[in-house]
Amino acid sequence: MTGPALAVEGVIAGYGGVLALQDVSITASPGTITAVLGANGAGKTTLLGTISGFVRPRQGRIMLDGTNLARRHPEEIARAGVGHVPEGQAVITELTVEENLRVGGLQRTGRTDRSRALADTYQRFPQLAKARNRSAGTLSGGERQILVIARALMAQPRVLLLDEPSLGLAPKIVTQVMDLILRLRDETGLTVVLVEQNARSALAIADHGVVLNVGRVVAAEDATLLAADVALRRHYLGF
Amino acid sequence: MNEFLQFTLGGVSFGMVYAAIGLSLVLIWRGTRILNYSQGAMAMLSTYIALTVINHTGSYWEGFAAALATGVVLGAVIERLVIRPVENKPPLNAVVVTIGLLVLLEGLAGIFYGGQYRSFPAAFSVTGLHAGAVSLGISPNDLFVAAAVLAAALALAVMFRYTSAGLRLRAAAFNAYAARLLGVRVGRVLTLGWALAGLIGALAGLLVSPNTFLYPASMDSIFVLGFTAAVIGGLDSPAGAIVGGLILGVTLNYVGGYLGSDLVPLFGLAALVLVLMLRPSGLFSTSHGRQV
Repeated sequence: MTGPALAVEGVIAGYGGVLALQDVSITASPGTITAVLGANGAGKTTLLGTISGFVRPRQGRIMLDGTNLARRHPEEIARAGVGHVPEGQAVITELTVEENLRVGGLQRTGRTDRSRALADTYQRFPQLAKARNRSAGTLSGGERQILVIARALMAQPRVLLLDEPSLGLAPKIVTQVMDLILRLRDETGLTVVLVEQNARSALAIADHGVVLNVGRVVAAEDATLLAADVALRRHYLGF
Repeated sequence: MNEFLQFTLGGVSFGMVYAAIGLSLVLIWRGTRILNYSQGAMAMLSTYIALTVINHTGSYWEGFAAALATGVVLGAVIERLVIRPVENKPPLNAVVVTIGLLVLLEGLAGIFYGGQYRSFPAAFSVTGLHAGAVSLGISPNDLFVAAAVLAAALALAVMFRYTSAGLRLRAAAFNAYAARLLGVRVGRVLTLGWALAGLIGALAGLLVSPNTFLYPASMDSIFVLGFTAAVIGGLDSPAGAIVGGLILGVTLNYVGGYLGSDLVPLFGLAALVLVLMLRPSGLFSTSHGRQV
């Protein structure tokens, strides 16, 4: 057993006087999917924002492969290997699909390395290859979700943070997105932290589950054990 | 007819200078959503540097290069030191800061160079060209002005579309949040944007000063017309700024030629007010509605 790819240790963070995270610790082992679950306002999105540097933690450490990233700037955290796919699909609508992908690959060194990454991406996501010269603003919700995930992967992140990837998508497309996350773990050994309201679909693909409630961790165990815990499910997860 | 041709061609030459100032304003507006009121004063200062170098070395082109370099450094330094603290603050902060900078730069120019009008050399001959017996109303230097601005605009367009730096600039301008997420160092990109704007502004100063003389406030009216050109183009669009500059330059040259040159500043301001009233998002802008 190697050390965790990502470890959040005793993080306290919030906006103004409100502490959205109160002493939160989670770990994600390499090559696993960790689902972070909880109701609206539990602090899930703040947790991801704190890991990627958009929210500054007041206390605690964010360890990526043993390096503390807490209080660094978001662009430096991204360069250190944290990919973050935010809620609401941050496609750059004024750029084309290919340009969006190329922004994701900018931090790679070397022209050949970048064009190989682009070719790999088109092979994995044929629907993006077809739309490569279209303005990203013309894509459907599902296509945009695929694009932002593919764009984050262009940077070869060590850890991928996904915030509500199923939000606002049709059930069929949710299944596609979840399948994609599974495939990425299995084929590339990617470490994924998956924030979801949709606890049932998240636990179906996750290895571990963490439940947040009003800024605190109330449960952290194997995904199958969490899914089997009827009382916990009723109380915090609503299914 | 001959007159009309002269006024049109002469207007193109003036218009290209407005276009260059407009282009520099667009570069800054796209990156930082700040209207840089000190853009003209920055161009004035770099032109003084050019004049000093030309007087020392006797070479116009060394002065030309020195002015462009000054523009780049001035743009970058101003962004780092003065603009950085007011980015992401209420828009009025940046307005006050850049107007303060305008007053400061013009004051410094007065202290170091004095307030008197100085003539500034042109790169090429300013005697009019003829096509047979017909006077065209433009000189070889006018052709150089148009070519220099067009070349700068083309170089910018190529950089924006085909280079990594250009992609970073566009990503940061359109969606700074997404750019940061992907590891684009947005702070450095904004500095680069201001440096480029300083470069284009310095070029405009070099090109217009043979016609206007050089003094601390010499770029004030050029700034207003460059701003008008940018607004006609929508303030967001580099190509729009060029077209806006051409429309404005030619129109004002007709006004000056047919109605009298006293009316030119008045019509320049009237054009700005009209565009803001009738089509505030500009003729070419893709965005609609904006807080100023």
